[in-house]
Amino acid sequence: MHEASIAMAAIEQAVEAARQHGATRITRVALRIGALRQVVPEAMKLAFEACAIGTPAEGVVLDLQEEPVVARCRPCGRQFEPDLQAISFACPQCGQADAELLAGNEIVLTSVECEQDEETAHS
Amino acid sequence: MKIQMADNVLKANDAIAATNRKLLQQADLLALNLMSAPGSGKTSLLEKTIPLLGPQYPSAVLVGDLQTTRDAERLDRLAVETIQINTGTGCHLSAIQVAQAIGEMDLGRLAFLFIENVGNMVCPAAFDLGEHRKVVLLSVPEGDDKVAKYYTLFQQADVVLMTKVDLLSVLDFNLSRVRDDLAKLNTRAPFIMLSARTGEGMGEWIDWLHQQRSAVISRR
Repeated sequence: MHEASIAMAAIEQAVEAARQHGATRITRVALRIGALRQVVPEAMKLAFEACAIGTPAEGVVLDLQEEPVVARCRPCGRQFEPDLQAISFACPQCGQADAELLAGNEIVLTSVECEQDEETAHS
Repeated sequence: MKIQMADNVLKANDAIAATNRKLLQQADLLALNLMSAPGSGKTSLLEKTIPLLGPQYPSAVLVGDLQTTRDAERLDRLAVETIQINTGTGCHLSAIQVAQAIGEMDLGRLAFLFIENVGNMVCPAAFDLGEHRKVVLLSVPEGDDKVAKYYTLFQQADVVLMTKVDLLSVLDFNLSRVRDDLAKLNTRAPFIMLSARTGEGMGEWIDWLHQQRSAVISRR
């Protein structure tokens, strides 16, 4: 359940961003998650729901986007997309499986949609 | 209102991991993050490894566990400095927990710092602790299919230890399946077959530890 750690950190950052923009309620959050993070979308949505309770993000809608994996072969320098179906990180050029990951591990908060409560706005 | 962002969600963890790495780099030590399933023999390996390294190479251990202090008690018997980190319901160690622990330690007197992660093959792989090397264990009783199943862990490994090899003769374990899977995932990490019980392969592991420590220290 590393989804919970990620959800908590993301909500914290979203709340901070909303606060800086003077908003009081977060309605939608978009996350881009690398395919290697092994995040289960259903588990992530549940973790988000649970961690958002009692915060300005309570009831938030979560959009998840998967970031494909990009690797670079350390021995020959070729950049390639590992074949995750075949569970292979072998280089298509030289055949070695010594890959440095360039993408596929990130967890990025890409956007936060928020609004100001009527009462707060008028007070 | 829509706020466009590009914020790394784990930036807090990654920033602390970077601080840990810097702090560890200032000492003459090699810091290792041991990751594997529960019961693969992380604590047993350390119980045998630390005496083999000898008193001239002082070690300390950070032990991550959900609730108990059982591993720490076992390691305490070796008279090595052991710090227990109870993660509660957390299924992995985070950089902040390691930062707090190493903040209490005298790193300058250490040659090796072993960080025994929570037994889990998924979550620990996602959290950088600031270690120098990642050690991944796979024990024979777990089965020969685990490398492909938990490939992100094995892809990142700096060394893969196959533990409890004394059980190869009594279990149906297809060693070539493990080798074939690793050949597609990680040909950089040495593959060391060992048994903490019989001592087989321990010499190769100890040699690897010394080589890596020399490499880390010389790059300071």
